[in-house]
Amino acid sequence: MEREPAEFAEFYQATRDDCLRIVLLNVGDQHLAHDLVAEAYTRAWMSWRKVRDLEVPRAWVVRTALNAHVSWWRRRRREVFLGDHDAAASGDQATLLSGDLLAALRRLPPRQREVVTLRLLLDLDTETTARVLGIAPGTVGAHLHKAVATLRAAILSPDTLEISR
Amino acid sequence: MNDSDTLAAVRDSLTTAKGSLAEVHMNTPADAIAREGRARRRRHTLTSLTGATAAVAGTALAITALAVPGHPASQSGSPARHPDTARLAAWTVAKQANGDITVTVRQLSNPSGLQSTLRADGVPASVTSVASPDLSCRPYPMSQVLFTSVYRAQKGTGAGTTVLTINPSALPSGAGVWLGAAFGRQAEDRGLHRVAVHRTINHTVHQPVHQVAARADNGVLRVGLVSLSQQCTGS
Repeated sequence: MEREPAEFAEFYQATRDDCLRIVLLNVGDQHLAHDLVAEAYTRAWMSWRKVRDLEVPRAWVVRTALNAHVSWWRRRRREVFLGDHDAAASGDQATLLSGDLLAALRRLPPRQREVVTLRLLLDLDTETTARVLGIAPGTVGAHLHKAVATLRAAILSPDTLEISR
Repeated sequence: MNDSDTLAAVRDSLTTAKGSLAEVHMNTPADAIAREGRARRRRHTLTSLTGATAAVAGTALAITALAVPGHPASQSGSPARHPDTARLAAWTVAKQANGDITVTVRQLSNPSGLQSTLRADGVPASVTSVASPDLSCRPYPMSQVLFTSVYRAQKGTGAGTTVLTINPSALPSGAGVWLGAAFGRQAEDRGLHRVAVHRTINHTVHQPVHQVAARADNGVLRVGLVSLSQQCTGS
Protein backbone atom coordinates (compact mmCIF):
# COMPACT_ATOMS: atom_id res chain seq x y z
CA MET A 1 0.00 0.00 0.00
CA GLU A 2 2.80 2.41 0.85
CA ARG A 3 4.37 1.83 -2.54
CA GLU A 4 1.27 3.01 -4.37
CA PRO A 5 1.74 6.78 -4.14
CA ALA A 6 5.32 6.48 -5.33
CA GLU A 7 4.27 4.14 -8.14
CA PHE A 8 1.57 6.52 -9.28
CA ALA A 9 3.89 9.53 -9.09
CA GLU A 10 6.50 7.69 -11.14
CA PHE A 11 3.92 6.72 -13.75
CA TYR A 12 2.57 10.27 -13.84
CA GLN A 13 5.99 11.85 -14.28
CA ALA A 14 6.91 9.44 -17.04
CA THR A 15 3.73 9.70 -19.10
CA ARG A 16 2.01 13.03 -18.42
CA ASP A 17 3.61 15.18 -21.14
CA ASP A 18 3.11 12.58 -23.87
CA CYS A 19 -0.51 12.02 -22.86
CA LEU A 20 -1.14 15.77 -22.77
CA ARG A 21 0.28 16.27 -26.26
CA ILE A 22 -1.76 13.40 -27.69
CA VAL A 23 -4.95 14.73 -26.13
CA LEU A 24 -4.08 18.24 -27.29
CA LEU A 25 -3.75 17.03 -30.87
CA ASN A 26 -7.19 15.50 -30.52
CA VAL A 27 -8.99 18.49 -28.96
CA GLY A 28 -6.96 21.47 -30.18
CA ASP A 29 -7.30 23.56 -27.02
CA GLN A 30 -4.47 23.68 -24.50
CA HIS A 31 -6.47 24.62 -21.41
CA LEU A 32 -9.09 22.04 -22.20
CA ALA A 33 -6.43 19.39 -22.83
CA HIS A 34 -4.85 20.19 -19.46
CA ASP A 35 -8.19 19.77 -17.75
CA LEU A 36 -9.06 16.55 -19.51
CA VAL A 37 -5.67 14.97 -18.79
CA ALA A 38 -5.72 16.10 -15.17
CA GLU A 39 -9.21 14.62 -14.88
CA ALA A 40 -8.03 11.34 -16.38
CA TYR A 41 -5.03 11.10 -14.05
CA THR A 42 -7.24 11.90 -11.07
CA ARG A 43 -9.47 8.97 -12.02
CA ALA A 44 -6.34 6.86 -12.54
CA TRP A 45 -5.18 7.77 -9.03
CA MET A 46 -8.56 6.80 -7.59
CA SER A 47 -8.48 3.44 -9.39
CA TRP A 48 -4.72 2.96 -9.34
CA ARG A 49 -4.76 -0.68 -8.30
CA LYS A 50 -6.83 -1.49 -11.36
CA VAL A 51 -5.10 0.90 -13.75
CA ARG A 52 -1.56 -0.13 -12.85
CA ASP A 53 -2.35 -3.74 -13.75
CA LEU A 54 -3.58 -2.85 -17.21
CA GLU A 55 -1.45 -3.79 -20.17
CA VAL A 56 -0.97 -0.15 -21.20
CA PRO A 57 -1.97 2.25 -18.40
CA ARG A 58 -1.14 5.35 -20.47
CA ALA A 59 -3.62 4.20 -23.12
CA TRP A 60 -6.26 4.10 -20.37
CA VAL A 61 -5.40 7.69 -19.44
CA VAL A 62 -5.65 8.95 -23.02
CA ARG A 63 -8.93 7.12 -23.65
CA THR A 64 -10.37 8.40 -20.38
CA ALA A 65 -9.37 11.96 -21.25
CA LEU A 66 -10.93 11.71 -24.69
CA ASN A 67 -14.11 10.19 -23.29
CA ALA A 68 -14.24 12.99 -20.72
CA HIS A 69 -14.07 15.34 -23.68
CA VAL A 70 -17.25 13.81 -25.05
CA SER A 71 -18.95 14.36 -21.67
CA TRP A 72 -17.60 17.92 -21.58
CA TRP A 73 -19.15 18.65 -24.95
CA ARG A 74 -22.48 17.19 -23.88
CA ARG A 75 -22.51 19.45 -20.84
CA ARG A 76 -21.31 22.43 -22.81
CA ARG A 77 -24.29 22.26 -25.15
CA ARG A 78 -26.47 23.20 -22.20
CA GLU A 79 -24.32 26.17 -21.19
CA VAL A 80 -24.63 29.54 -22.78
CA PHE A 81 -22.08 31.80 -21.17
CA LEU A 82 -18.72 30.21 -21.73
CA GLY A 83 -17.41 32.79 -24.16
CA ASP A 84 -14.52 31.69 -26.32
CA HIS A 85 -12.93 29.08 -24.10
CA ASP A 86 -12.15 26.95 -27.13
CA ALA A 87 -9.84 29.51 -28.62
CA ALA A 88 -7.12 29.17 -26.02
CA ALA A 89 -4.18 28.30 -28.23
CA SER A 90 -2.31 31.08 -29.89
CA GLY A 91 0.62 31.81 -32.18
CA ASP A 92 2.48 28.91 -33.77
CA GLN A 93 0.57 26.31 -31.79
CA ALA A 94 -2.74 27.67 -33.01
CA THR A 95 -1.49 27.42 -36.57
CA LEU A 96 -0.34 23.87 -36.02
CA LEU A 97 -3.42 22.77 -34.14
CA SER A 98 -5.76 24.16 -36.77
CA GLY A 99 -3.98 22.38 -39.64
CA ASP A 100 -5.82 20.21 -42.13
CA LEU A 101 -4.45 16.94 -40.78
CA LEU A 102 -5.54 17.55 -37.22
CA ALA A 103 -8.86 18.97 -38.32
CA ALA A 104 -9.40 15.73 -40.22
CA LEU A 105 -8.32 13.71 -37.16
CA ARG A 106 -10.92 15.47 -35.02
CA ARG A 107 -13.63 14.80 -37.60
CA LEU A 108 -13.03 11.06 -37.62
CA PRO A 109 -15.72 8.84 -36.08
CA PRO A 110 -14.82 8.18 -32.41
CA ARG A 111 -13.72 4.56 -32.89
CA GLN A 112 -11.50 5.39 -35.87
CA ARG A 113 -9.94 8.23 -33.92
CA GLU A 114 -9.28 5.92 -30.96
CA VAL A 115 -7.57 3.43 -33.24
CA VAL A 116 -5.42 6.14 -34.84
CA THR A 117 -4.53 7.51 -31.41
CA LEU A 118 -3.50 4.13 -30.02
CA ARG A 119 -1.81 2.77 -33.14
CA LEU A 120 -0.06 5.86 -34.50
CA LEU A 121 0.29 8.29 -31.60
CA LEU A 122 0.83 5.83 -28.74
CA ASP A 123 2.58 3.47 -31.14
CA LEU A 124 0.82 0.30 -30.00
CA ASP A 125 0.74 -2.70 -32.31
CA THR A 126 -2.50 -4.03 -33.76
CA GLU A 127 -2.92 -6.86 -31.26
CA THR A 128 -2.36 -4.63 -28.23
CA THR A 129 -4.71 -2.01 -29.64
CA ALA A 130 -7.33 -4.69 -30.13
CA ARG A 131 -7.00 -5.89 -26.54
CA VAL A 132 -7.13 -2.34 -25.14
CA LEU A 133 -10.28 -1.56 -27.11
CA GLY A 134 -11.83 -5.00 -26.66
CA ILE A 135 -12.28 -5.57 -30.37
CA ALA A 136 -10.82 -8.01 -32.89
CA PRO A 137 -7.47 -7.27 -34.55
CA GLY A 138 -9.19 -7.37 -37.92
CA THR A 139 -11.59 -4.67 -36.79
CA VAL A 140 -8.63 -2.52 -35.73
CA GLY A 141 -7.19 -2.95 -39.21
CA ALA A 142 -10.47 -2.01 -40.86
CA HIS A 143 -10.88 1.15 -38.75
CA LEU A 144 -7.27 2.11 -39.36
CA HIS A 145 -7.58 1.60 -43.11
CA LYS A 146 -10.60 3.90 -43.31
CA ALA A 147 -9.07 6.51 -41.02
CA VAL A 148 -5.76 6.61 -42.86
CA ALA A 149 -7.55 7.04 -46.18
CA THR A 150 -9.29 10.08 -44.74
CA LEU A 151 -6.16 11.52 -43.15
CA ARG A 152 -4.09 10.91 -46.24
CA ALA A 153 -6.27 13.30 -48.23
CA ALA A 154 -5.59 15.96 -45.61
CA ILE A 155 -1.81 15.71 -45.82
CA LEU A 156 -1.47 15.60 -49.58
CA SER A 157 -0.51 18.96 -50.97
CA PRO A 158 -1.54 19.89 -54.54
CA ASP A 159 1.85 19.03 -56.01
CA THR A 160 1.82 15.54 -54.52
CA LEU A 161 -1.68 14.61 -55.50
CA GLU A 162 -1.77 11.45 -57.55
CA ILE A 163 -3.71 11.65 -60.75
CA SER A 164 -5.43 8.52 -61.88
CA ARG A 165 -7.18 8.17 -65.19
CA MET B 1 1.30 4.95 -52.96
CA ASN B 2 0.38 1.58 -51.41
CA ASP B 3 -1.26 0.99 -48.03
CA SER B 4 2.02 0.63 -46.23
CA ASP B 5 3.40 3.87 -47.66
CA THR B 6 0.17 5.69 -46.85
CA LEU B 7 0.21 4.46 -43.28
CA ALA B 8 3.85 5.53 -42.91
CA ALA B 9 3.10 8.97 -44.35
CA VAL B 10 0.19 9.55 -41.97
CA ARG B 11 2.19 8.22 -39.03
CA ASP B 12 5.09 10.55 -39.90
CA SER B 13 2.79 13.55 -40.16
CA LEU B 14 1.15 12.84 -36.81
CA THR B 15 4.51 12.18 -35.17
CA THR B 16 5.80 15.48 -36.52
CA ALA B 17 2.72 17.27 -35.23
CA LYS B 18 3.22 15.74 -31.78
CA GLY B 19 6.92 16.55 -31.85
CA SER B 20 6.17 20.19 -32.53
CA LEU B 21 4.40 20.31 -29.15
CA ALA B 22 7.64 19.60 -27.29
CA GLU B 23 7.25 22.85 -25.36
CA VAL B 24 3.84 21.81 -24.05
CA HIS B 25 4.10 20.30 -20.59
CA MET B 26 1.63 18.97 -18.07
CA ASN B 27 2.47 21.28 -15.21
CA THR B 28 0.06 19.98 -12.60
CA PRO B 29 2.15 18.40 -9.80
CA ALA B 30 1.52 14.76 -8.93
CA ASP B 31 0.65 15.87 -5.39
CA ALA B 32 -2.19 17.98 -6.75
CA ILE B 33 -3.62 14.99 -8.61
CA ALA B 34 -3.41 12.88 -5.45
CA ARG B 35 -5.03 15.60 -3.33
CA GLU B 36 -7.93 15.89 -5.77
CA GLY B 37 -8.31 12.12 -5.80
CA ARG B 38 -8.40 11.97 -2.00
CA ALA B 39 -10.91 14.82 -1.85
CA ARG B 40 -13.19 13.01 -4.28
CA ARG B 41 -12.94 9.83 -2.26
CA ARG B 42 -13.99 11.76 0.83
CA ARG B 43 -16.88 13.34 -1.04
CA HIS B 44 -17.97 9.97 -2.38
CA THR B 45 -17.85 8.53 1.12
CA LEU B 46 -19.89 11.38 2.54
CA THR B 47 -22.40 11.10 -0.29
CA SER B 48 -22.90 7.40 0.22
CA LEU B 49 -23.26 7.90 3.97
CA THR B 50 -25.93 10.56 3.65
CA GLY B 51 -27.67 9.03 0.67
CA ALA B 52 -27.57 12.37 -1.05
CA THR B 53 -27.61 12.65 -4.77
CA ALA B 54 -24.08 12.47 -6.08
CA ALA B 55 -22.67 15.71 -7.26
CA VAL B 56 -20.85 15.20 -10.48
CA ALA B 57 -17.50 16.96 -10.58
CA GLY B 58 -17.16 18.55 -13.95
CA THR B 59 -14.19 19.67 -15.96
CA ALA B 60 -15.53 23.16 -16.24
CA LEU B 61 -13.25 25.68 -14.66
CA ALA B 62 -15.70 27.70 -12.64
CA ILE B 63 -15.73 27.22 -8.92
CA THR B 64 -18.56 28.11 -6.62
CA ALA B 65 -19.13 31.78 -6.48
CA LEU B 66 -19.74 32.90 -2.95
CA ALA B 67 -22.45 35.46 -3.05
CA VAL B 68 -22.18 37.57 0.06
CA PRO B 69 -25.31 39.47 0.97
CA GLY B 70 -25.37 42.42 3.27
CA HIS B 71 -23.54 45.71 3.48
CA PRO B 72 -19.98 46.29 2.38
CA ALA B 73 -17.50 46.03 5.22
CA SER B 74 -16.26 49.33 6.50
CA GLN B 75 -13.45 48.22 8.73
CA SER B 76 -10.64 50.72 8.85
CA GLY B 77 -7.41 51.24 10.65
CA SER B 78 -3.71 51.07 9.98
CA PRO B 79 -1.98 47.76 9.34
CA ALA B 80 -0.68 45.99 12.43
CA ARG B 81 1.51 42.93 12.03
CA HIS B 82 1.45 40.01 14.44
CA PRO B 83 4.01 37.23 14.35
CA ASP B 84 2.09 35.26 11.74
CA THR B 85 -0.75 37.56 10.97
CA ALA B 86 -1.02 40.87 9.19
CA ARG B 87 -4.20 42.81 9.86
CA LEU B 88 -5.03 45.47 7.32
CA ALA B 89 -7.96 47.67 6.59
CA ALA B 90 -9.65 45.55 3.95
CA TRP B 91 -8.28 42.10 4.54
CA THR B 92 -6.26 39.88 6.82
CA VAL B 93 -3.40 37.69 5.71
CA ALA B 94 -2.45 34.83 8.01
CA LYS B 95 0.19 32.17 7.61
CA GLN B 96 -0.92 28.78 8.89
CA ALA B 97 1.24 26.16 10.54
CA ASN B 98 1.02 23.93 7.47
CA GLY B 99 2.32 26.72 5.23
CA ASP B 100 -1.05 27.69 3.78
CA ILE B 101 -1.82 31.38 3.47
CA THR B 102 -5.34 32.52 4.30
CA VAL B 103 -6.57 35.81 2.99
CA THR B 104 -9.74 37.01 4.68
CA VAL B 105 -11.28 39.56 2.34
CA ARG B 106 -13.68 42.12 3.73
CA GLN B 107 -13.25 44.80 1.12
CA LEU B 108 -11.66 44.77 -2.31
CA SER B 109 -9.22 47.61 -1.84
CA ASN B 110 -5.52 48.33 -1.33
CA PRO B 111 -4.22 45.76 -3.85
CA SER B 112 -0.61 46.93 -3.59
CA GLY B 113 -0.69 46.38 0.17
CA LEU B 114 -2.05 42.88 -0.28
CA GLN B 115 0.59 42.15 -2.91
CA SER B 116 3.38 43.30 -0.60
CA THR B 117 2.04 41.27 2.29
CA LEU B 118 1.75 38.09 0.24
CA ARG B 119 5.26 38.51 -1.12
CA ALA B 120 6.56 39.13 2.40
CA ASP B 121 5.02 35.79 3.36
CA GLY B 122 6.92 34.12 0.57
CA VAL B 123 4.15 33.91 -2.03
CA PRO B 124 5.15 35.21 -5.46
CA ALA B 125 2.12 37.35 -6.15
CA SER B 126 0.62 39.96 -8.39
CA VAL B 127 -2.48 41.76 -7.18
CA THR B 128 -4.34 44.16 -9.44
CA SER B 129 -7.33 46.39 -9.05
CA VAL B 130 -8.71 45.28 -12.40
CA ALA B 131 -10.23 42.05 -13.66
CA SER B 132 -7.18 40.81 -15.58
CA PRO B 133 -3.47 40.39 -14.80
CA ASP B 134 -1.09 43.27 -15.32
CA LEU B 135 0.37 43.53 -18.83
CA SER B 136 3.79 42.70 -17.41
CA CYS B 137 2.44 39.29 -16.41
CA ARG B 138 2.23 36.19 -18.58
CA PRO B 139 -0.68 33.87 -17.79
CA TYR B 140 0.38 30.41 -16.62
CA PRO B 141 -1.60 27.44 -18.00
CA MET B 142 -3.77 26.04 -15.27
CA SER B 143 -5.97 22.98 -15.07
CA GLN B 144 -8.93 22.65 -12.75
CA VAL B 145 -7.00 20.23 -10.57
CA LEU B 146 -4.07 22.60 -10.28
CA PHE B 147 -6.44 25.44 -9.56
CA THR B 148 -8.23 23.65 -6.77
CA SER B 149 -4.94 22.51 -5.28
CA VAL B 150 -3.65 26.09 -5.06
CA TYR B 151 -6.86 27.91 -4.12
CA ARG B 152 -9.79 27.24 -1.83
CA ALA B 153 -12.50 29.76 -1.12
CA GLN B 154 -15.21 29.75 1.48
CA LYS B 155 -17.58 32.15 3.13
CA GLY B 156 -16.06 33.77 6.18
CA THR B 157 -17.62 34.03 9.59
CA GLY B 158 -18.13 37.78 9.45
CA ALA B 159 -20.82 39.41 7.33
CA GLY B 160 -19.58 40.13 3.82
CA THR B 161 -16.37 38.18 4.38
CA THR B 162 -14.73 35.63 2.15
CA VAL B 163 -11.73 33.49 3.06
CA LEU B 164 -9.34 32.56 0.27
CA THR B 165 -6.76 29.92 1.16
CA ILE B 166 -3.59 29.71 -0.94
CA ASN B 167 -1.43 26.59 -0.80
CA PRO B 168 2.01 27.84 -1.92
CA SER B 169 3.48 24.33 -1.94
CA ALA B 170 1.07 23.39 -4.74
CA LEU B 171 2.42 26.11 -7.02
CA PRO B 172 4.41 24.68 -9.91
CA SER B 173 7.95 26.00 -10.16
CA GLY B 174 7.76 29.06 -12.35
CA ALA B 175 4.26 30.05 -11.33
CA GLY B 176 2.92 32.69 -8.98
CA VAL B 177 -0.54 33.73 -7.88
CA TRP B 178 -2.62 36.50 -9.35
CA LEU B 179 -5.52 38.15 -7.58
CA GLY B 180 -7.62 40.83 -9.20
CA ALA B 181 -10.61 42.86 -8.21
CA ALA B 182 -13.37 43.86 -10.56
CA PHE B 183 -16.27 46.17 -10.07
CA GLY B 184 -19.37 47.29 -11.91
CA ARG B 185 -19.82 45.98 -15.44
CA GLN B 186 -16.59 43.99 -15.34
CA ALA B 187 -17.87 42.13 -12.33
CA GLU B 188 -21.19 41.44 -13.99
CA ASP B 189 -19.67 40.06 -17.19
CA ARG B 190 -20.43 36.36 -16.98
CA GLY B 191 -18.05 35.66 -19.83
CA LEU B 192 -15.24 36.63 -17.50
CA HIS B 193 -16.23 33.90 -15.07
CA ARG B 194 -14.42 31.49 -17.32
CA VAL B 195 -12.08 33.42 -19.53
CA ALA B 196 -10.43 36.76 -19.50
CA VAL B 197 -8.73 37.99 -22.61
CA HIS B 198 -5.28 39.23 -21.81
CA ARG B 199 -4.09 41.37 -24.69
CA THR B 200 -0.43 41.88 -25.40
CA ILE B 201 1.17 43.65 -28.29
CA ASN B 202 1.27 40.79 -30.75
CA HIS B 203 -1.27 38.26 -29.70
CA THR B 204 -4.11 37.43 -27.42
CA VAL B 205 -3.81 34.92 -24.62
CA HIS B 206 -6.89 33.46 -23.05
CA GLN B 207 -6.46 32.93 -19.34
CA PRO B 208 -8.96 31.00 -17.26
CA VAL B 209 -10.14 33.24 -14.50
CA HIS B 210 -12.02 32.14 -11.47
CA GLN B 211 -14.45 34.21 -9.54
CA VAL B 212 -14.12 33.30 -5.91
CA ALA B 213 -16.08 35.97 -4.16
CA ALA B 214 -18.91 38.28 -4.94
CA ARG B 215 -19.92 41.17 -2.78
CA ALA B 216 -23.06 43.21 -2.47
CA ASP B 217 -21.24 46.22 -3.88
CA ASN B 218 -20.81 44.33 -7.19
CA GLY B 219 -17.11 43.76 -6.63
CA VAL B 220 -15.58 40.37 -7.31
CA LEU B 221 -12.23 38.83 -6.54
CA ARG B 222 -10.67 36.81 -9.33
CA VAL B 223 -7.67 34.53 -9.07
CA GLY B 224 -5.35 32.83 -11.51
CA LEU B 225 -1.73 31.85 -12.05
CA VAL B 226 0.98 33.87 -13.74
CA SER B 227 4.54 33.07 -14.75
CA LEU B 228 7.21 34.22 -12.31
CA SER B 229 9.09 37.37 -13.26
CA GLN B 230 10.64 40.25 -11.39
CA GLN B 231 8.19 42.68 -12.94
CA CYS B 232 5.10 40.60 -12.39
CA THR B 233 5.52 38.69 -9.17
CA GLY B 234 8.62 40.30 -7.68
CA SER B 235 10.83 37.24 -8.04
